[in-house]
Amino acid sequence: MALFDRFKKNGGDAAKEVAEKANDVVESVSETVQEAVSDVAEQATEAAEEAAPAEAPEPGTYRKVHISPGARGWGNGLDVKPEAGKDLIYSVTGGGIHPVAQRIADLTGGKAFDGFKSKADFHEIAVAVIDCGGTARIGVYPMKGVPTVDIHGASPAGPLMRFINEENFVSGVGVNDITVVDE
Amino acid sequence: MGSHMRIKYETTVTAVGPMAVEFAAEGILVFFGTNAPEELHEFAILHEHTPNDEDVVPGDRLAIGEAESVVTGVGDVANDNLRNLGHLVVKYNGLTETELPGEVSVTAGDAPTIEPGMHIRIIAGE
Repeated sequence: MALFDRFKKNGGDAAKEVAEKANDVVESVSETVQEAVSDVAEQATEAAEEAAPAEAPEPGTYRKVHISPGARGWGNGLDVKPEAGKDLIYSVTGGGIHPVAQRIADLTGGKAFDGFKSKADFHEIAVAVIDCGGTARIGVYPMKGVPTVDIHGASPAGPLMRFINEENFVSGVGVNDITVVDE
Repeated sequence: MGSHMRIKYETTVTAVGPMAVEFAAEGILVFFGTNAPEELHEFAILHEHTPNDEDVVPGDRLAIGEAESVVTGVGDVANDNLRNLGHLVVKYNGLTETELPGEVSVTAGDAPTIEPGMHIRIIAGE
């Protein structure tokens, strides 16, 4: 029970009132901005689809990627670079390894891994890829210290919400939201 | 009900994680098939999932042991989750629009106490 009590006491009535007022003002501005962002995102997606596929790194080496939130996603994005012994791109998704997990693996040199088929320890996982609609998996991996990429555009929610932050979570991610970072 | 009762989904609970009990106290049941990664077990009610053909829709009935409730809302990804992973999130909040896309909302009330061996059925609405 304690977990839920702590979680619930976060918001006060005063904060709620202020937020509601601010929300009214923001809503009209927000719609305009969302349209603009959506346009830019569409253009970016088209550009990315035309780009030549990036080559895999040399065998046994790893490369860093930046994983950006999708147009409807949440977060600032995550940098992920696997390392020896911690190079699993851990797909906890329906229907086998998700294309986003495969893309991260291809670009970083990490190993795509199906969490529903085999067993791994947290210290072996570079990043977890989930298709969570917002209740359970969204919080489990952040809580365990594993950077987490959600295919769905979910915002932090659910009973484990307090474990989710911009340093460990990004959502709405598609295959074109993953770019190699030059080091 | 009666002789034409059609069962869309049927399964048996095999284990109930310690955190799943806390979720249940808040009116949330989180199910996963037994092949779910171990780190999800403590949060989940595990069950013997076999993929279902038919989508769950509002008006269906959810029977957990003897406790029955009516499905009021189904999130956009809830049926995919159930079919692929045996993953089902049930909230006893009576909403027609679920709070999150992975959820199924049912008649508002307390969630039933879940124990290993319990039968779970989703029955087509009339």
